[in-house]
Amino acid sequence: MVSLTIDDVKIEVPEGTTVLQAARMSGVEIPTLCDYPHLTPYGGCRLCVVEVEGARLLQPSCTLPVSKGMVVHTNTARVREARKFVLTLLFSERNHFCMYCQVSGGDCELQNAAYEQDMTHWPFQPNWDPYLVDASHQHLVLDHNRCILCRRCVRACGELVGNFTLGVKDRGPESIIIADLDVPWGESTCVSCGTCVQVCPTGAIIDRRSAYLGHEADVERTRSVCIGCSVGCGVELITRDNRLLRIDGDWDAPVNEGILCQIGRFLALDDERERIVTPLVRRNGTLKAATWEDALDYVAGRLKPLAGKKGDGIAALASTRLPVESLYLFKQLFADKLNSEMVTSIEEGVTTALSGKVAQELGRPFEGSLERLKSADCVVAIGVDLAENHQVAGFFVKRALPNGTKLVVIDPYDNQLHELAHYALQPQAGTDYELLLGLMSAIVKSGLSRDEPTNLSELAGYDPQVVSQVTGISADTIRAVARLIASSQRPVFVYGKGVTRASSPEVLSALIELARLVGALTPDQSAIIGTKGQANSLAAYMYGLDKPFEVDGHQAVYLALGDDEPSRRLIKRLKGAPFIAVQASYLSPATEMADVVLPVEMWAEQDGYYLNLAGKLQKAHRALVPPQEVRSNVGVLKALAARLGVELEADWRKSLKKRAPINPVVE
Amino acid sequence: MLSQADRRELDDILKKYPDKRSAVLSALYIAQREKNYLTDDDIRDVAQALDMTVTEVHAIVGFYTLLRKEPTGKYLIQVCTDLPCALRGADDFYRRLCRRQGLPPEGGTTEDGLFTVEEVVCVAACDKAPVAQINLEYHEHLTDEKIDAIIAELREKSTEGVTAG
Amino acid sequence: MSLLQEHVLLRHRDIPNIRDIHVYTAHGGYDALRKALNEMQPGEVTDVVKASGLRGRGGAGFPAGVKWSFIPKDVKPVYIVVNADESEPGTFKDRELIEGNPHQVLEGIALCAYAVGAEAAYIYGRGEFRGPFRGLQQAIDQAYEQGFLGENILGTDFSLDVYTHLGAGAYICGEETALLSSLEGKLGQPRNRPPFPAQVGLYGKPTVVNNVETLTNVPPIVRHGAEWYRQFGTEKSTGTKIFCLSGHVVRPGNYELPLGTPLRYLIEECGGGVPGGRKVKAILPAGASAPILPGDKLDLPLDYESVQAAGSMLGSASFIVMDETVDMVWAASKMVHFFKHESCGKCSPCREGTYWMEDVYHRLRDGHARPDDVDLLLSIADQMDGNCFCLLGEFSLSPVRSSIRHFREEYEMRVKRMGIGD
Repeated sequence: MVSLTIDDVKIEVPEGTTVLQAARMSGVEIPTLCDYPHLTPYGGCRLCVVEVEGARLLQPSCTLPVSKGMVVHTNTARVREARKFVLTLLFSERNHFCMYCQVSGGDCELQNAAYEQDMTHWPFQPNWDPYLVDASHQHLVLDHNRCILCRRCVRACGELVGNFTLGVKDRGPESIIIADLDVPWGESTCVSCGTCVQVCPTGAIIDRRSAYLGHEADVERTRSVCIGCSVGCGVELITRDNRLLRIDGDWDAPVNEGILCQIGRFLALDDERERIVTPLVRRNGTLKAATWEDALDYVAGRLKPLAGKKGDGIAALASTRLPVESLYLFKQLFADKLNSEMVTSIEEGVTTALSGKVAQELGRPFEGSLERLKSADCVVAIGVDLAENHQVAGFFVKRALPNGTKLVVIDPYDNQLHELAHYALQPQAGTDYELLLGLMSAIVKSGLSRDEPTNLSELAGYDPQVVSQVTGISADTIRAVARLIASSQRPVFVYGKGVTRASSPEVLSALIELARLVGALTPDQSAIIGTKGQANSLAAYMYGLDKPFEVDGHQAVYLALGDDEPSRRLIKRLKGAPFIAVQASYLSPATEMADVVLPVEMWAEQDGYYLNLAGKLQKAHRALVPPQEVRSNVGVLKALAARLGVELEADWRKSLKKRAPINPVVE
Repeated sequence: MLSQADRRELDDILKKYPDKRSAVLSALYIAQREKNYLTDDDIRDVAQALDMTVTEVHAIVGFYTLLRKEPTGKYLIQVCTDLPCALRGADDFYRRLCRRQGLPPEGGTTEDGLFTVEEVVCVAACDKAPVAQINLEYHEHLTDEKIDAIIAELREKSTEGVTAG
Repeated sequence: MSLLQEHVLLRHRDIPNIRDIHVYTAHGGYDALRKALNEMQPGEVTDVVKASGLRGRGGAGFPAGVKWSFIPKDVKPVYIVVNADESEPGTFKDRELIEGNPHQVLEGIALCAYAVGAEAAYIYGRGEFRGPFRGLQQAIDQAYEQGFLGENILGTDFSLDVYTHLGAGAYICGEETALLSSLEGKLGQPRNRPPFPAQVGLYGKPTVVNNVETLTNVPPIVRHGAEWYRQFGTEKSTGTKIFCLSGHVVRPGNYELPLGTPLRYLIEECGGGVPGGRKVKAILPAGASAPILPGDKLDLPLDYESVQAAGSMLGSASFIVMDETVDMVWAASKMVHFFKHESCGKCSPCREGTYWMEDVYHRLRDGHARPDDVDLLLSIADQMDGNCFCLLGEFSLSPVRSSIRHFREEYEMRVKRMGIGD
């Protein structure tokens, strides 16, 4: 610990702390512009300067490490004068006439900093050349006229997301933010994660949707969890007058530490489906508005006679976007109480069933935490495109690459990570197993394995030379990749649908064995990560909702769709079902086929828990009040159970942990 | 674009450094030497050869004045007009040169595309002013006659090259 | 012409073709390296450089031996980076050393590497030095052939590789941390200090960054001893120094003189005085970055302490002489333009401050100046002072402040001219 004095208060902080951080710890606010807590200190704007006793010059607090006995003054006349000067220069650099700017009024850090320094005007005549506004991007607008060249966006794009789309052209006062090789932003390699808009201190980068819709002071913020996929990123939902304006990444969320992907930040807001605002019952061939009483009675009337029937009773399907509470009630009602055999999720266990089976055979969870990805020095991604799905996990990989992390991608099909990979292996389709054994065989032969192979005799038949003929990958490459993986200190294995879709569990077992050989799976730790499917994919597995779905001779189908969109494949299979009840938020081909439609809350309207891909249990919170006639998913299931004379138990936690877990469940 | 020979040359340069990206300036020099400026494809090539992102390489091109993105003549004539040279008449020397080449006072490229003339800051030859670098080679103690002779010679060489080719 | 019987650094002026290794060795070349490797411990080399009082010739004037002694003994590899990014307006000495006496530079590098335990050295030259560096590379190749560089130098355990590296046009890369960033293939922007390069330098390893001229001093120091070296110069500014003389003198060029030689000697004896017998109006002693000295300071002894006491800095000793015909507002604006052109744009005071200062100079030039423009210049300068990321921003203030201090009436005339001719 280092002790120092800031504004006459003595404090102790850990070594390596910056003066800015130390000041914040002791409750002293120092204004900043280019600094951002989640980015590497930059020291560019010079707004955060402080006076340090014994130092001739003012010091930038954001980059200055504390030292023993340091005496710091953050608010002397000299400091205030220097800050005013910096602000004066920034205001006169480009067009910063606040009254014409949409973020003026509390949301602009430049304007706020000026108010803090009691600035009402600046002495230099502005003398800028107007810049063209780049409005070519689907979600964002880049207005260079409001840019203060703090480079937070550039640093966020590289350091946090690993995308390196934004950069700076030229130098000195001619410096300007560009995308790629100075192409219109909308035509660039931008992945629309929106981290840049979240860190921009002024109105230089604004988001098309929320601009002009409300200042910071007028909005409400609700912490929640993104349910776009199984990563489970922490989000803040920004609302005003019961309207969802914007989604920010939650900097304090351990899973994503503030970053989001396009799906979580923008696409969740672009839902143009038509909302269902009242229960609907099919009469004379058309769906008509009905009361909840009538609708529920109707469903209960049709389901009751089918209770306990095998094969020709009720088939029930739930979306894996529903909260844990709903999934648990759903599973109890249909599987435990009505004794249906065909109770599953619309994912049908495609991403989890195989992993579950392997976990059962192993008798222990074999997957680890997402955190491992952030410190990996070698990532092996197999059967998964992290640039397409689970993108935030992909960002963790991409941003580690410049620091020397190696990436091996194994995928017979097109994969956007292939071009970033140190080794992009495209084995013949269906030969992943052989490739993995070839890698193991090479590792064992080179003496680099850290654990005893259990299948030594089998490996003998998988010499890289032999394997290369089956997979189409050269023996030299197999050996090189084997050496790379085995000589890494912290290798991490990420697998996805390409592995779990395989008809036999062999590929996954081989992957686990490979991980064990290189020390990525020990009795107490694992660096294997399965990406799973939707937000509650893992929870659905834990409740046994993971079997393939067939309508067959079932007399009724109950579809708890929530705000999910049914796949075309599902719709095809629902055709011909004698009775269909759908519990849903939006009109869809499924509701069109339904005999009864029960309107429920969408994701932003409900409270509920989600179990992410690594077994972390997180709660999503309601940010919007639903339309009047819309009920919660839990409420509908309970009301239906009551009409069917069935009692449901509410303690979902206990039974969540019953099944052989793929990951340890962490609360 | 980097040719196969360029890439071999770059491979030799890479041996000097423990980190590939240290060769970025060398690689960009190689990419621009034929035409005196860099295209987007050159930048992509260099980024790919050195495991860098295109935005990083592009930022480097913008940062260093000897790396150029604007189309440039076959011969780049850079006349120093910084203070020490200006005290020895470099400002006027430069303006006269532009005028004789039919260029505006701020310089530019001659109509035949052979020569780009521009003023630069100090090139470490202040005692030999007026001074110019032509494609980064020093020409010192210049007079109007001397530079005209050099230009005439280069022009002749280029046109010869065209007829011969 | 010279106060020296023979040159210590510019030896090619006394010995023709000393750039050839055979000529160099025939005149005692590489004897110092042989002596160090055979008779001295690495620490002793550092000690003799410390004892010599040699100070960094790049501009900062920091004692070279002390800098070397900061290198930790237990971290490997250690790098030497030779700063040949000679970009200060009015400076052209390193180029002459590289062209004329390259082996003394290389021998200095080898001695430094031996002293600090380095096995690789990079010579970073400005991009314009393509031609001079071709010759330097030939000298390096010769030194390898003769066993003065490479594996097991002179049959000892000591090995050293020397590489050349060219920049691409950025004054800021002369700043040592920016130079390291540039050498690593990043933007040539300065880094935060601490940590200093001696701890975390090139590729994160301990690194000595020395100027070409600094290292060229080392072979004679090791060969003849600290006492011999201290016979030149003053008590605190020891040795000889190359003075770059340019501007309004009859014979501009490099002149090697003992530190402490009076300015008058440099200008009048070496440079042949001002052409046409005109008077010296002002002198820039360290290129564009140190304050202007008025022309009445000709008796000033040219050592670090005396020049500082006179309100300027010796820096790289690049003397730009201006005679009585020079318009000082024009001269200052030339220098401000230089710094604005070279500002990297990272920190706002330098990026915008240099821009605004140049803007005011344009008004002065074009006859649109306002009554308070001179004070505005001073106020910008005062507020930039001490608030820039690196020294470039600070340097840009020197010509502004010092020209106003000594020649304010020329500014006022420009201001008063406002409206004339309308």
